[in-house]
Amino acid sequence: MARQDDTMSFASHQMRLSARHWLVVAVIIALLFALIGPLWQRIERFEPGADYRIPYELSSDYWLYDRYCRRAVDTYKVLIVGDSVVWGHYVPPDKTLSHCLNEIAGKQQFANMGIDGVHPVALAGLVKYYGKALSDTKIVLCFNPLWITSKKHDLRSDKEFSFNHPRLAPQFVPKIACYSNPTPNRIGIVIERNTDFLSWVSHVQITYFDNMDLSSWTVEHPRRNPLTAVTGQLPAPAASNDQRPTWNPDSTARQDFAWVDLETSLQWEFFKRSISTLAKRRNNVFVLITPFNEHMMSRRSLAAYNRIKNQMADWLQEEQIEFLIPPALPSEHYADASHPLASGYALLAQQLCRHERFRSTILDSTGESK
Amino acid sequence: MLFHTWIFLPFFLVTYAVYLILNRTKLRNVWILIVSYAFYGWWNPLYLILMAYSTVVDYIVLALMEKSNSRSRKKWAAVSILNNLFLLGFFKYGAFLTENVNLLLTRLGSSYVIEAPSWLLPVALSFYVFKSVGYVVDCYRGDVPRETNFIRHAVFVSFFPILIAGPIERAANLLPQFRKPTRITTGDIADGLSLFIVGLFKKVALADCMALYVDKVYDAPGQWQSAALVLATLAFTWQIYFDFSGYTDMARGIGRMMGFQIMRNFNHPYLATGLGDFWRRWHISLSTWFRDYVYIPLGGNRKGKFNTYRNLFLAMVISGLWHGAAWTFIIWGALHAAGLMLTRQLERNAFYRDSLPKVIKQAWVFVFVSFAWIFFRADSWSTACLIVSKIFTAGWSDPRFPMLFAILICAVWSYQAVCESRLKYILKTTGVQIGMAVLMIIYLALFAPATGQPFIYNQF
Repeated sequence: MARQDDTMSFASHQMRLSARHWLVVAVIIALLFALIGPLWQRIERFEPGADYRIPYELSSDYWLYDRYCRRAVDTYKVLIVGDSVVWGHYVPPDKTLSHCLNEIAGKQQFANMGIDGVHPVALAGLVKYYGKALSDTKIVLCFNPLWITSKKHDLRSDKEFSFNHPRLAPQFVPKIACYSNPTPNRIGIVIERNTDFLSWVSHVQITYFDNMDLSSWTVEHPRRNPLTAVTGQLPAPAASNDQRPTWNPDSTARQDFAWVDLETSLQWEFFKRSISTLAKRRNNVFVLITPFNEHMMSRRSLAAYNRIKNQMADWLQEEQIEFLIPPALPSEHYADASHPLASGYALLAQQLCRHERFRSTILDSTGESK
Repeated sequence: MLFHTWIFLPFFLVTYAVYLILNRTKLRNVWILIVSYAFYGWWNPLYLILMAYSTVVDYIVLALMEKSNSRSRKKWAAVSILNNLFLLGFFKYGAFLTENVNLLLTRLGSSYVIEAPSWLLPVALSFYVFKSVGYVVDCYRGDVPRETNFIRHAVFVSFFPILIAGPIERAANLLPQFRKPTRITTGDIADGLSLFIVGLFKKVALADCMALYVDKVYDAPGQWQSAALVLATLAFTWQIYFDFSGYTDMARGIGRMMGFQIMRNFNHPYLATGLGDFWRRWHISLSTWFRDYVYIPLGGNRKGKFNTYRNLFLAMVISGLWHGAAWTFIIWGALHAAGLMLTRQLERNAFYRDSLPKVIKQAWVFVFVSFAWIFFRADSWSTACLIVSKIFTAGWSDPRFPMLFAILICAVWSYQAVCESRLKYILKTTGVQIGMAVLMIIYLALFAPATGQPFIYNQF
């Protein structure tokens, strides 16, 4: 059939660009995509002061985390990376582990790089995609045993459920049976975490539009001008988390945790991947297994936990990775199964600073490396 | 698989790369068939059985029809049409029919209840069935030659860009394009990209935006007052246009990049000056299908006023029913039939035709079409009645309609008005064209909702 010629109306709209026009568009878009992130960093003030931690409401703002990493690597000598135990779920910013270590050091040396709820599977994604700035530095990488207290915590449950930070989890390989998300969304996530511009878009949505896209936000705020919402001011970290501790030291009830086998644990496997990623970037990695609340465990559970700790120690020794598996804190220093209270953080910081290998690999050489 | 979801990107990149390699070989159509079936099977592989069945039956029937005398030809054509309509009736209208028969039986005092079928309605069934029926009728009439190559026949039925929501292409336009390799120029790729980006913008940035407000109001119409119901109806008027014409633009864009010319389906329908004009601008492939295969065979306008109006009415009601198996769609079709008749009568009046300002005609057509959309969008007849009654009786409290949406609608309307005015040359200047493309892409990347809502017409 003869091709319909161009006199046939092309479309109801008038937008019809030539190949050359599209080339110009591609160049403009590429420039905008490349420049908008760096430009935005000039517009949006970000001055993480002493004891800074990523605000709780920005926990899923990985672009900001990336930005914080870049800043922290230049500012601090040691970066403490981990989940809410590092972040300080039940304490204000000036009572966290990093603060206590800074107090002992007498200067700002330790950065709180924790993110609330970032389990090791997510942590591996966080380090891989948004922690690229973490190189040639000292890192205390924390593992919270909470994530291996059951198959569900270990993300090996067959039943689908929503867990923290799914955007950092592997989207295709290995397959996580309990993770439910349609394939197009998974592809979108993979593209986003490899595209700085899209991560920046997420940052804007999380920071200024209540974690909504503009359309959804404008439906919620029909009279507000979206431009006025973009203040260029990042929220400050909350003074304290208003959640109440759940652990009662006087409680006699003991829990029987269904510890998973470390050999097959997904969370432990991904924690090992994080160590490997950071080591490949020439970081000096010190592993801290954060002290779990052993006082709430049944005798059987405690025995299993001790076995797991030994296995962890064996593997870390084998791999020649410096580590500390501190003893449990006294009961009254816990807020729940894994989070210390302020006094617990102070005690943990002291334990760390007394630890010979921590002193030699992290504390004593801090002045030399920076 | 939807055009505006991330999965389509790798699908199309692979499809297109292989297509470019195979374009000048005999394997080209085989490849299109494979990817079309993969595209359709993505929803549910079981759907493929139905499409394959329809394709095989039509192919055999057409072969038998070709070898038959004129009397048998009619029989074979009837077999094919009935087979296709049976598929449509069985899967699309089975539940609706049993529901209404049960209602009738209850009214008649019978306690007998027919069990309602619970099978899934395959997406796009109405589209490929109508495409096939049109082709069979065209062959029967001798308007197009039968396609003897089975692969080409199957590709015609399943061609993935237009499979899900049209346009309902005619064999005369599409089939010959499968007979020889397409010549793909950089112009085709640029044109395809232009169409695709505009379509994507319409769907993701505009239709899905409107849907947020429309769904909120239409999901609980009892909680809203007049202003909100009116604005939600107007928002739906634009939503369905952006959604459907956006899909069509994307489909045509993909086709164009592959070197295919796919017919236009929309032409600024909300600038129509009459209902007849509206249907020449809205879902053009469906309205011309009904014109050629229903309205004209029924007699068209050849047998007097009464028969003309009867034929119009029947064509529009069947068109309503085609959209969905519910009384609301039938009412929607009937309303349009009434509007068409009224417009025809009005246009016979010299004052209306020649002296009434165009903008007034456009306004009343827009209001009428918007009003009819209430029945199209409402979940049920009772919901539609509730909305209509509340529009006229409820108060006018704050509708909480987003200002941003109002601005977007005004911008699009102004754009369309400029498109149809003497100022349209402004839109064709290089700066404006490039600026618009950049703005659309930036808007999509920055502000578009991440909902990935399906197209409204997928369900038909």
